[in-house]
Amino acid sequence: MPAEKKRGFFRSLGRQWQLMIMSVPMLLYVLLFNYAPMWGWINAFRDYTNKKNVAKGITPFNGLDNFRWLFGRPDFFQAIRNTLAMSVINLVFGTFSAILLAVLLNEVRRKGFKRTVQTVTYLPHFLSMVIVVSMAQNIFASNGPVNALLISLGLVKDPVFWLGDGKYFWWLVGIINVWKEVGWGTIIYISAMTAIDPCLYEAASIDGAGRFQRILHVTLPGIKSTFVILLIMNIGHLLEAGFEIQYLLGNVLVKDYSNTIDIFVLEYGTEKLNIGVATAAGMFKSVVAIILLVGANFISRRLGEDTLI
Amino acid sequence: MTSAAVKQVQRKRMHRDRVFPIVNTILLCLLMFVTLYPVINTVAYSFNDGTDAVRGGIGLWPRVFSLKSYEAIMADKAVYQAAWISASKTVLITLLNLFWTGMLAFALSRKEYVLRKFITTVMVLTMYINAGLIPTYLLISKTLGLSKSYWVYIIPSMFSCFNMIVIRTYIAGLPDALVESARIDGAGDIRVYWQIIFPLCTPVLATVALFVAVGSWNSWFDTHLYCAGQKQLHSLQYLLKMKLATTQASANAAKTSADALKTTTLTTPITIRAAITVISTVPILVVYPFLQKYFVTGMALGSVKG
Amino acid sequence: MKKLLALLLALAMTLSMAGAVFAEGQEPITLTVFRGDPGDQPAEDNKIYKLIEEKFGVKFEFEFLAGNLDETLGLKIFGQDYPDLFDGGNSADLIIDGGALINLLDYISPEKTPRLWAHIEPQKARLIEKDENGNDVLYIIPNYGLPEGPQIALSVGGPAFFLQKQVLEWAGYPTIKTLNEYFDVIERFLEANPTDENGNPYIGFDILCEDWRHFCLINPVQHLMGRPNDGEVLIDVNDPGFHTETFIDKPYAKGYYKKLNEEFHKGLISRDTFTMNYDQYIAQLSSGTVLGMFDQAWDFGTATSALNDAKMYKNTYVALGPVYDPEYVDGKVIEEHYLNGSLPNVRRGFGISVNCTCPERIIAMWEEMMSEEWQLIFNWGIEGEDYYIENGRLLMTEEQYAHTQDNTWKLHNKADAFFQSSPKRQGWIMEGPLAGNCWEPGNQNEIVFGLMNDYDKEFLSHYGFSKWADFVNPPIELAPYGEAWQINYNPVDNEHTDFLKIQDKRLPELIMCDPAEFDALWDAFVEEITPSATAFGDYMQQAVLDEVAKVLGN
Repeated sequence: MPAEKKRGFFRSLGRQWQLMIMSVPMLLYVLLFNYAPMWGWINAFRDYTNKKNVAKGITPFNGLDNFRWLFGRPDFFQAIRNTLAMSVINLVFGTFSAILLAVLLNEVRRKGFKRTVQTVTYLPHFLSMVIVVSMAQNIFASNGPVNALLISLGLVKDPVFWLGDGKYFWWLVGIINVWKEVGWGTIIYISAMTAIDPCLYEAASIDGAGRFQRILHVTLPGIKSTFVILLIMNIGHLLEAGFEIQYLLGNVLVKDYSNTIDIFVLEYGTEKLNIGVATAAGMFKSVVAIILLVGANFISRRLGEDTLI
Repeated sequence: MTSAAVKQVQRKRMHRDRVFPIVNTILLCLLMFVTLYPVINTVAYSFNDGTDAVRGGIGLWPRVFSLKSYEAIMADKAVYQAAWISASKTVLITLLNLFWTGMLAFALSRKEYVLRKFITTVMVLTMYINAGLIPTYLLISKTLGLSKSYWVYIIPSMFSCFNMIVIRTYIAGLPDALVESARIDGAGDIRVYWQIIFPLCTPVLATVALFVAVGSWNSWFDTHLYCAGQKQLHSLQYLLKMKLATTQASANAAKTSADALKTTTLTTPITIRAAITVISTVPILVVYPFLQKYFVTGMALGSVKG
Repeated sequence: MKKLLALLLALAMTLSMAGAVFAEGQEPITLTVFRGDPGDQPAEDNKIYKLIEEKFGVKFEFEFLAGNLDETLGLKIFGQDYPDLFDGGNSADLIIDGGALINLLDYISPEKTPRLWAHIEPQKARLIEKDENGNDVLYIIPNYGLPEGPQIALSVGGPAFFLQKQVLEWAGYPTIKTLNEYFDVIERFLEANPTDENGNPYIGFDILCEDWRHFCLINPVQHLMGRPNDGEVLIDVNDPGFHTETFIDKPYAKGYYKKLNEEFHKGLISRDTFTMNYDQYIAQLSSGTVLGMFDQAWDFGTATSALNDAKMYKNTYVALGPVYDPEYVDGKVIEEHYLNGSLPNVRRGFGISVNCTCPERIIAMWEEMMSEEWQLIFNWGIEGEDYYIENGRLLMTEEQYAHTQDNTWKLHNKADAFFQSSPKRQGWIMEGPLAGNCWEPGNQNEIVFGLMNDYDKEFLSHYGFSKWADFVNPPIELAPYGEAWQINYNPVDNEHTDFLKIQDKRLPELIMCDPAEFDALWDAFVEEITPSATAFGDYMQQAVLDEVAKVLGN
């Protein structure tokens, strides 16, 4: 770095002391709480398979054995596939439904109704997954209402085995997630819509824009940066499909489709105190996440959209 | 154009697409039904007799009305202490988060800030890098010695990057001219933030407050890790989770000696779980309208243009 | 009058409380306690803990398990955060290996602690182990399974094939002894009664496979082969080498799943059984529409309560012990053994941690608590309040008994959180004026049969039985290794997980497949599971032999 530029950097820094006061404490904070514990990644290179030794504090280094073990397992790749599939479904359906609902709500003129809808739709967010999945299982059972409806409409002859046929599993997870989270997901978009200048709507109306055009040219552009930023963030999280819903909705017949990375890590790592394997999987996820994140951020910048970093 | 004229134009248009509002209303009502059903069903279960409820098949109304599940939870005096712990930590954490996160978001939204890129990157990565439970546990409990104290709830939860990004995105959407004109008036960044930006951010801050408060209210794992032996520090969610776990365990534990007997199980995991859901959601429901007010109406915008 | 008494009692209690601590000459202390299972904090005014505080000057600060057990124990080990009283639940091995517990034999001896010694003495071969230096060590006095007097087996508390009582009633109270007989009676009943009186279709046989409860799917074969519960291995106890093998991959297992396949195609088993979760299973049983299932009695206690509450006695279950018909096992006749001798709960219960500053005091307290006086307080409560004595018999009124089933009441009036993990006397009271009573109310004859409904009484009378356990053979002698499910298989954890996962996946497929394909699929299953089954089986063989050597060598 040329000396002049360097001096310029420090001079700016000196001028920006107020911004530093506002930002540096939290920088130190995350270095302590989020980065300092990263020494734990060293455990990915240690042998934790024998609990007896682990309890005694004997955990010898074993090189890349934990990674080798992970990547030597076909079901780990199956878990990656399932995780990605469910993440993408969730991301697409979740985002789409939340934006759609937010737009529809934004079109409601009566404040009371708007508030009521909003309050009611966000409630399922607070139900525990156990309750929601249990209900879904009853709804999609062989003798449940969904099958009854399909049969009475003559769409199928025999009940569909929604819960026991692997090919439906990812979509069921998607549907349940949308059901539970759609209202909650709108909150962030609705708050973004408050920042849209009402003049824009007025101007559009005067220019003769219809309702649909107003949505297209005012509302959606108004929440675009929120959408882009959330999208980039979520792309980074593609390997995080969670485990609770899959664990609860899954069963012995659909294991090949319900097994996610987190479930895999739980079964072979955490539950058995095999911290080596759990940490190795965690490291793998972090690295992939960062690659995805940087990639998405880069593409977004190229397209001239907002960026996260 | 006067606002009266605008209204007139709008009114005309309303006539033209009257269909949309009707369709929209119907759609939203349907959605409300679909999302309300599980909620009412849960409430119905919570007010049902435990042994009867295991049969399943309860719809929108309890079949055999009973307050047993609520009694089983509320009879324990510890619930009130735990509710106090939960409420107080939620308020504290929310305020601290808003304080720090908002300032940071503002600083990182300033394009001229030379550390902007570096700090942003460091922050963003925290969302994706997970060091694992054990090192974090050892840091908080051993190195910092926070375990068995109330502060273990507060200190590690003062900040979340996700919320910072949400606020930053919002601030980025505000007109730059606001900051510039204030600067020309000689205001420093701190004053610009607190006097101009902060009031304008009410909708997004309300949103973030909701996220933080709900997260904090619902957390139990911190109690489990750091304060499980300190019953005066138990949070409500931890206590409720424990009650559920106990009911589950005792429902299975007729065990060797007493199994020949008629066992009267007064509560069951199903009804307890439902009652717990109701008990822990009601406070959120009560607080929600106050926050909702801010992010449903764009009240802040008047001053932007002012 | 009552009020006055209560007042006097309270006064006496406050006085004695003030005095007691100093009378014992000991500083009051608070012990930190960890329990390896979930539990509720006792109420502040709990009367039993008050008594303990008065008498021993000891208070407790409980921590119960909220998350994953191994993870929680791991954190305690890494952080060296040990409570005074440490119950590691099912993973006590972890804290023992981690060096968290002291050797109790340094404090327990026939002279110093006669009661505790007498308690462990009969089973000391099983309980006392050798540490790495060859010294005798005992880390945990089992919380259960050291009963006194003849074994009490009133009913089948563990695994069995269950059948609704009405099926047997309808069939004229037959005796069911084999697998074919069991399914035959269900088939015939189902044919004659496809639905219940409300028109709901009956389900012939349920197989719960949710998560760890998949034992309903994978465990039955060993029992059909005539052994009590050894988990996932079959052990030949008559073989001096205790031949141990996984049974699921053996030819004799095939017959059971082929039978299930047939029953599936006859409509006794529904495909939905493989997708239901535990709550749905319990809901089905509670609705009275499930005729039979393989399970363990404690696993569906809630359903039994629900059926009893609804007075649907004919829909409650009786535990049967069918074995393979000779045709399944090359004409061999198998002797049935579902009930086992009483099993000490080895390495389960409280240990005292190395961080505890007063182990002597805890041992002295336990020693005192092993007295009849204290055991009655823990098991029965306070005389006159919670139970009464009439003609030398310990009795409870219906109301008093109902209390013992009420969790909220128990938090005020029982010291379960402490007592459940402490050493305790079970079985019969052998001496003194109360000899012939049971230590636990749940085993006391008057209570068991006093509460039995008329339908059950009549049902039993048709068979000429006096108790539910009469439907199966009396318990056999406990094998030297105990029960193999207690054995720790950590070094083959991964193989074991694979072993279970393959069964979870393939067994339902086998049950539902086209009968013409069954044989080929079975062979493929055996081939797939052999590597993990062999690894696990070989490990268990050695572990069983080690355990036998330990017990016989002591």
